[in-house]
Amino acid sequence: MVTEEQIEHVSKLMKIDIDDHKEYVDKVQTMIDYFDVLDSADVESEEISMQEITISNLREDKYVPFNEKLIDKLNNYKGTYVRAPKMS
Amino acid sequence: MTKIGLEIHCQLTNLKSKLFCSCKANYREFEINENICPICMGLPGSLPRLNQEAVKKATMIAMALNCTTPDKIAFFRKNYFYPDLPKNFQITQLNIYGKTSIGGTGSIIVGDKKIRITRIQLEEDPGRLIYEGSSSKNLITLVDYNRAGTPLVEIVTEPDFENPKQVRDFVNILSDLLENLEVSDPGLDGAMRSDANVSIEGGNKVEIKNIGSFHDLEKAVHFEITRQESLNSRDIQIIQETRHWDDKRKITVSSRSKEEDLDYRYFLEGDIPWIIIDPKTKENLKSNMPESISSKKERYVSKYNIPTQVATVLSSDKFYSDLFEESHTEVTAKEIANIITTDLMGLIDTREKRKESKITATHLKDLADSIQSGKISRNSAKNALYEIVKTGKNLSKVMSELDLGNVSDESELLGIIKAVIFEELKAVEEAKSNPQTINYLVGKVMQKTKGKADPKLTLDLLKKQLK
Amino acid sequence: MNLKISALEFVQQVQNGNISAEDFVAKTLERIQSIDDKLHAFLFVNEKAIDQARDIDKKIKSGSKVGACFGMPISIKDNMCIKDSKTTCASKMLENFVAPYDATVITKLKEQDAVFVGKVNLDEFAMGLTTEFSAFGSSKNPWNTEYVPGGSSGGSAVSVSAFECVASLGSDTGGSVRNPASFCSVVGYKPTYGLISRYGLISYSNSIEQIGPLTRTVKDTAFMLNIISGLDPNDNTTIDNKNEDYLSGIDSGIEGKKIGIIQEMVGEGTDPTVLSATKDAISKLENLGATCEDVSLDMVKYSVAAYYTIAATEAGSNLARYDNLRYGYDFSVEGYEFNSYIAKARRNFGPEVKRRMIIGGFVPSAGHAGKYFLKAIKVKSKLTREINEAFKKFDLLIAPTVPILPFKIGEKINDPVSLFLIDINTVTANLTGKPSISVPFTISNGLPIGIQLLADSMNDKLLLQAAYALEQTITLQEVPI
Repeated sequence: MVTEEQIEHVSKLMKIDIDDHKEYVDKVQTMIDYFDVLDSADVESEEISMQEITISNLREDKYVPFNEKLIDKLNNYKGTYVRAPKMS
Repeated sequence: MTKIGLEIHCQLTNLKSKLFCSCKANYREFEINENICPICMGLPGSLPRLNQEAVKKATMIAMALNCTTPDKIAFFRKNYFYPDLPKNFQITQLNIYGKTSIGGTGSIIVGDKKIRITRIQLEEDPGRLIYEGSSSKNLITLVDYNRAGTPLVEIVTEPDFENPKQVRDFVNILSDLLENLEVSDPGLDGAMRSDANVSIEGGNKVEIKNIGSFHDLEKAVHFEITRQESLNSRDIQIIQETRHWDDKRKITVSSRSKEEDLDYRYFLEGDIPWIIIDPKTKENLKSNMPESISSKKERYVSKYNIPTQVATVLSSDKFYSDLFEESHTEVTAKEIANIITTDLMGLIDTREKRKESKITATHLKDLADSIQSGKISRNSAKNALYEIVKTGKNLSKVMSELDLGNVSDESELLGIIKAVIFEELKAVEEAKSNPQTINYLVGKVMQKTKGKADPKLTLDLLKKQLK
Repeated sequence: MNLKISALEFVQQVQNGNISAEDFVAKTLERIQSIDDKLHAFLFVNEKAIDQARDIDKKIKSGSKVGACFGMPISIKDNMCIKDSKTTCASKMLENFVAPYDATVITKLKEQDAVFVGKVNLDEFAMGLTTEFSAFGSSKNPWNTEYVPGGSSGGSAVSVSAFECVASLGSDTGGSVRNPASFCSVVGYKPTYGLISRYGLISYSNSIEQIGPLTRTVKDTAFMLNIISGLDPNDNTTIDNKNEDYLSGIDSGIEGKKIGIIQEMVGEGTDPTVLSATKDAISKLENLGATCEDVSLDMVKYSVAAYYTIAATEAGSNLARYDNLRYGYDFSVEGYEFNSYIAKARRNFGPEVKRRMIIGGFVPSAGHAGKYFLKAIKVKSKLTREINEAFKKFDLLIAPTVPILPFKIGEKINDPVSLFLIDINTVTANLTGKPSISVPFTISNGLPIGIQLLADSMNDKLLLQAAYALEQTITLQEVPI
């Protein structure tokens, strides 16, 4: 059973404010508790696999500048910087 | 016993493009946020496009550090929020599902000590934070993403160092090695950054983050050992913590946010399949790798009979060894090695001077040839070198402009010799009875010619005159 | 003008000069204007669509080279980037985001002279299967507007079903193309993983999702696939399909093909109506010369838990970039400290997205990865082995696309686990990377039922041939709108 504290801890980690607390936590708990079914899947010995690609199919090392001045299209501060909040 | 381990982040500055996009790897020449694209800005919908050459270069570094190289490499996401990370995760490597980081265990000999390498990984550099404003209260955080996505190789060592000097020797060897491999220019600002972990006998391990240069690394380690020893001597416990290097005050400072509180939730980067590095690719890389510094040194000693010390200095610096390789012949090798190590290195002893220097391999070749054929004395050669470095003019032009050529015209030299004989009657008599003293007369001729008389010809002519 | 034609018919008629692209697009926009208030398929309409169609008509008249789409009006799920147009993912978080580049599928469609009539609705960031989680309101099922259209590509399915476009692109992470296709009675396709470039598709769960077409006919899907599939240097996970022509030989039939009936998808929890439709489909396939047999994929029991674990983990990471610093909505950083700003800014995510991100922070975290995330990816591996084993014996697999009939808006929104279970038949194709199609099969009490077929990786062509064969056995009712 997932505890309320655990969910609160993770919400901080994920930078998510929880509003209507009780309903929220309940739902998340229900969802995670459903995952307990994985315990009976008996997959401990299973190998993990993934798609593969050969090195020669990777991008060639070439400098190609982006065709527009991208910063103009983003939030900018005095035209060139991206502004972040104060770092404590 | 003091134990020091390092994590060195080395930018692959010699690549043309970033790790996952085609923006420039060398971001230093750009105005703020001009070297960015949807990929390195982590815009919605963008995907990483791995740079083939980065994988190759990082593999070469692993090989040069005698690390194992896996047949398959994998990338992982390290998740944490920070304004310099456009995606709020960093694409990096890890060995959680088998050995999949670009370099496995290896080692390198430093002096008489073996330093073990734990692993080598390829990852992306974050952007750069800039703080603007006067008082610390009103600081504004600004972000420049030009650096975001620059290819970084992280070299992790075992805690095998015992003192700051070993650390310095290691990073010196490492910089030379990286430069020799043509993967990186360690002299570029911010190209080499390190973390260090330090513990003294009986104390806890302390992590020092964010050391901006190799120069500061030694200082930081030194400071930290001293700090820990001082605590120890006062019976104060050394707490296990993360500190960062304050490069203005040159001290380590406890970091407020605790590393232990972070949970990076590493998992496989699904946008990059596992990359197969087949044996043939590895073989090719190995055979195309530039000759190692130690093998160069051995060759210089055994093939050209260059003294070990000279060979060591010459081989470890890529700039000079390249000049040497390009200019020497079997006959002139030793001469050129000498010119480089005794004269040239003194002339261009800083990064800036090296950059401004106009010297080429042809200059060195001409100089050595002229010395060996007696057209110029070693002394004058030194003056010529100074001029060449400054102006880049060819040797014959420099020699004529500065009148540095040897006096090797027989009649001209004979005239001077006759004058010396006339002036030094006593010495002439002495030389006739004791040929050993003839050198005095050679010296006088040299004086008159300001050292430009061809020494061999002078001696021959003098001998004839004294008969 | 008849808007109720297939993509191939559209191409033919424009080519023959029977209709002009401009007229057709104009009529399509009129229809959107008149009925979309009821359906809410579209988030916004492309104001320049008629001009673009007119330009294509000019090209046709002047005899210059014209792309294969001939001005065909297509709708695009609003999680794919079209340069200089808004791409919101149906989220308040990206309400003002204007994409500075085209997704690869968009580039390819533009090259073939498609006209994008507008961006269509989805569950926020594609997280859902009803469109009820769209920040801009739910879409309605054209078969009965009190019912959900399915999701997350609900807007795509509705727009194709209600003749508001000829074809649409959706994305399928756990059934997000096939589910609404089934609920709205259109064809929905999830290709082999890597067949279509994801560059420009805003990631939800990137290791398992694919863009896929929603069309009126199987042939139209093959037509779309011909245009948008193939190796893309912008997406390292794409695979080379050697420019396969999915249309040629689509009528090859399925005589002699072996079809496995996935037992875990026709058992308990399957609506009896859906079950009988499936049986009907199986006998139709047998009549065409295929042999059908039961097959068991044991891991299917765990597939939904594995799917949500993996999807939430990847989503938690993929959506971390939305911190409102580089782009986003108007909310100044002035006076805020970093952590509190980010958390405040991220309040603009809807409740389901927040829930999934919290789950996505929990299941792969240091203390819990072993119990959840690691097991989930191992289930994925084992399920892949199982299905590969099945494809040694069978050419195709069959199951209902969705175990239940479309349900009413609001009916299940508060019951997350029962929503989970609706995905049980679709997530297998995503977890294993196999191609899968939903073919509209029948209408029961005015609500559509789709049948799902799966094939082995890179057997997309065979899959389309089988789907076409099945499609030819049925005559579909027309949508009552």
